[in-house]
Formats: sequence, structure tokens, C-alpha cells
Amino acid sequence: MGSDAEREEDVAATDLFRDRFRLCTISIAEAEAKQNDMEISQPIMACISDLAFKYAEQLAKDLELFAQHGGRKTVNMEDVILSAHRNEQLADSLRTFCNDLKAKEPHLDRKRKKGTRKQDKATPTVLHIPDS
Amino acid sequence: MENTFDPDLIHAIFKYVWRKRALEREKDEGAETTEVEVGAGTSKKHRPTSANANAVKLSCELLRVFVTEAIQRAATIAEAEGVNKIEATHLERILPQLLLDF
Repeated sequence: MGSDAEREEDVAATDLFRDRFRLCTISIAEAEAKQNDMEISQPIMACISDLAFKYAEQLAKDLELFAQHGGRKTVNMEDVILSAHRNEQLADSLRTFCNDLKAKEPHLDRKRKKGTRKQDKATPTVLHIPDS
Repeated sequence: MENTFDPDLIHAIFKYVWRKRALEREKDEGAETTEVEVGAGTSKKHRPTSANANAVKLSCELLRVFVTEAIQRAATIAEAEGVNKIEATHLERILPQLLLDF
């Protein structure tokens, strides 16, 4: 069966991803904290990074299911936007980002762009929902 | 955005998850294809999902927003308490709403 060795390999691969992911998270979080004149304690940094990593894994599963449901084998941008559909502001912000990406590659399909670009004003990338 | 996740890394994580799930599907469907090599999904039916480059970039943005939101919200709580270091209690307070929002 060799499932033990398989699992070990699994763990090793996941750990490597997790570490690299953490490095990215730290640089993003540090920059964000600096803007707010804040420090982040180390355990919290690890927490947030693991949280985001779990989110990424879940996101991968969601995207796969969305693509499959659409009868595709390839995940596209619409799938990513769909994964954020519960949060309208987030979905809008992603849609703006998506349009920006499309605009950078003008040779790709332009025809459906007008339809999707409902709001031209850039929604702020940081959504603030007060915690009360 | 100058500070975001490395698309290659995110793509690698996605591909890893998809490959694992493709292998599981293969196993579930019966053992007519017994070779379980890492290059998984030789048959067309079991080929793992893939992603186009822009979708990966957009996912990076989504994850970036997730992290910045966590920090922003925790910072707001910490600020209200008059401290300038984000600690566990601050994260605890914002976590439920954060998870509902993503």
C-alpha cells in the first residue's frame, strides 16, 4: 500500500508550500501593519498565515468545482469572482482587478468587456466593515 | 500592487490540491488504472484541473485582500484598545466576521 510513505511525502510537500506561503504573507502583513503604525506579534503572524493557507486550499477546491460545473477543465477569472459572490464589495473589487488585467492584454477578448464594466470608479481594495 | 502573493506559488498550491483530488477520484472509480505515479491523471477523464494565468493572478489578489483585511480589522481593534501591537485577542475578535466575509 505504501500509504504511510505517501502521507509523509504529502506532509513534506504541504510544509514546503506552507513555508513559502508564510514568507509572502509576512511581507504583505508587515507592509499593511506599517501603514497603520502597528506591530504584529509573531504567533499572530503564524496564525494569519495558516488561516490564509487553509483558505487557499479551500479556494482551490471551490474553483475546481465551479469549473467542473461549467463543464471546463480550466479555471478562469469568472470562477474566482464567483467564489467571492457572497461579499458583493469583494466581488466588485475583484471584478475591477479582473478588468485591469484584461486591459493589460488588449489582444485578448474585448467584446464582453463593456458588459462587465458596470462601475468604472475604482473600488478601494481594502473593504472596511466595522466590527461592533 | 507591488506587494502580493507569488502567482507561481499559488499556482503550485492549486495544482497540488487538484492533483491530489484527481488521484482520489481515480482511486474511487476502481483500480483499473493501478499505476499511481506522481505525474497523475494519464487518462483524459482524470486529468487534474488547471487554471489560466489571469485566474491565478486574481486568486493572488483575493488572498492578498484576505490578509490585509485581517490586519486592518485587527489593527482597528488594537488601536481602540490603545496598544500598537496586534495580539491574539484582537485577532479573536475579528475572526468570526472575517471568515463570514470570505
